[in-house]
Amino acid sequence: MNGLFRQFHDLFVSLKLTVTLLVLSIILIFWATLAQIDLGIWGVHQKFFHSFFVLENFPGTEIPVPVFPGGYFIGGLLLLNLICAHLSRFRLGWKKAGIWLTHTGLILLLIGELLSGLWQEDYDLTLDNGETKNYSENERDNEVAIVDATDPQFDDVVAIPEQLIANRETVQHPKLPFRVVPRLYYPNAALQMRRDAPDAPPSPATQGMGAQIVATPIPLTSKEDERNLPAAFIELIAPEGSLGTWLVSPELPMPQHFSYGGREWKIVMRFERRYLPFSLTLVKFSHDIYPGTDIPKNFSSRVRISAPGTPGREVLIYMNNPMRAGGLTFYQKSFVPTAEVGSERTTILQVVRNPSWLMPYIACSLMALGLVLQFGLHLAAFARRRRAGSAFSPRESPAKS
Amino acid sequence: MRRFRYFPPLTALLLLAACREAKVVSYRVPKEQDPTLPGMTAASADSPTPAGMPPAGGPAMADTAVPTAAGPGLTWIAPANWRVKPASAMRKGSYAVPGEGGAEADLSITAFPGDVGGELANVNRWRGQVQLPPLGEGDLAGAVSTLSQNGLQLTVVDFASAQDTGSKRILGAIVPFADGTWFFKLTGPDRLVAGEKPAFLAFLKTVKPVTPP
Repeated sequence: MNGLFRQFHDLFVSLKLTVTLLVLSIILIFWATLAQIDLGIWGVHQKFFHSFFVLENFPGTEIPVPVFPGGYFIGGLLLLNLICAHLSRFRLGWKKAGIWLTHTGLILLLIGELLSGLWQEDYDLTLDNGETKNYSENERDNEVAIVDATDPQFDDVVAIPEQLIANRETVQHPKLPFRVVPRLYYPNAALQMRRDAPDAPPSPATQGMGAQIVATPIPLTSKEDERNLPAAFIELIAPEGSLGTWLVSPELPMPQHFSYGGREWKIVMRFERRYLPFSLTLVKFSHDIYPGTDIPKNFSSRVRISAPGTPGREVLIYMNNPMRAGGLTFYQKSFVPTAEVGSERTTILQVVRNPSWLMPYIACSLMALGLVLQFGLHLAAFARRRRAGSAFSPRESPAKS
Repeated sequence: MRRFRYFPPLTALLLLAACREAKVVSYRVPKEQDPTLPGMTAASADSPTPAGMPPAGGPAMADTAVPTAAGPGLTWIAPANWRVKPASAMRKGSYAVPGEGGAEADLSITAFPGDVGGELANVNRWRGQVQLPPLGEGDLAGAVSTLSQNGLQLTVVDFASAQDTGSKRILGAIVPFADGTWFFKLTGPDRLVAGEKPAFLAFLKTVKPVTPP
């Protein structure tokens, strides 16, 4: 065994590493639990668990520095540690089959969690009774959509993620006859009419409704029941010169229209959309309660799923009974409450794309099978020894198992 | 420690594997209308007014001088084509909404202390203003829709009168806030107000409590 391999081997099969990582995990979870007060569940996920390092700003600056290993780092090393120790210590054989299966299940579970963290996409689909939509929305991320709305039959959309706007990256897209230049970006902003803030400085916006509005940056929020509403001033520059600067924000949900090059355009900042290969119509949302009480019994959404050229079908989505279609899973997530319990008419479905969704099921099945096999083998051996022992001396204590 | 010298390249590899690049995407979708909010109930425009049915409440009630709600306020962003009208003692906000051929609808924003008689009384007051019969307690839930946003609960209505000529429509929202109730009411010619519905709903979406300084 050469020196390099030996170093890897010693490090990754080490039980000390396992214990160290488990202690680090405990500290990480404890810290994250406390941080949830300020950051909320989503913020904690991103900062502590879906990251390689926990970053904190260097005191007095905006420079992030790693201060603690994150979930991916600890989980990744635990996975490596588990695989290496397993390969190094255990030999294949029937007597160890249970341990092999249990460990394989655990390894798959860790890999599945990693892949879910990397690949899973969550969107929301809000539908009113009778409403039809063919897209879901991500209420955490936004996009600037520039739409060529000239054709009466369809819209050509160019969607620019908020991240590029935040990075002030100029976008030159083949489908746009102008450049998109983010001039100013606020990750969270309050908008108010200029008449309410007469002393505000002039707006950078020269087109659309932005000139009448004052956008003021406000601190970011991570609370469960709040969301950040960004605002950006976007300049569109054609070969012959600037077309103007627009203020866009999800707080301004109406697209702003303009004409250029003989075509009709719209610009809007909206929740990031994910279009579906089919459309969903909410036939009926039901919030059932136990008679005579306001205690919820069931939440369900009867939806009609229809794709072009197909007859469509109705599906009932309720808690713990999601609908799977087109590689997506639709869960009953929430609803819009009304004054009278039971009269709600707007459902919120969670739309999840997770290519590794089967892995936890396979992993848990393997672990259950492994544990049954392992304990079964031990039990059989124990019973065999006990029978053999009792044949010689009924007062002899059972053999060590 | 020597044995940890392989951590940095290993970590860098994992980091690279986890990177998700933000990319501009383009696609073609069937024609979409400008967004409206979910939760609207169609107006009972075609339900005839029973002969002799007096309007519930009536305009006189709307004009009654009562103290407006004090304390924390709401803020909003009006569409660009709405013209600001001079504010009055009664109104927190006032806009003229222009339509075709010089037609004009009126958007009023008022606020009063307390619940002003409750949701049903106010909904029936608006129904009376467009000559629709009052609703019973049990019919209320089916005639209104509710929006939850910015920590506010908005009860939204859309009522049109059944008269063929000169018909009138009211789009309204009742917003309990702090110790008072706010009313957002767009009233005017049926066609004009119906056409302005997406803008009104988008406007409602901008309503939120004033951020404390």
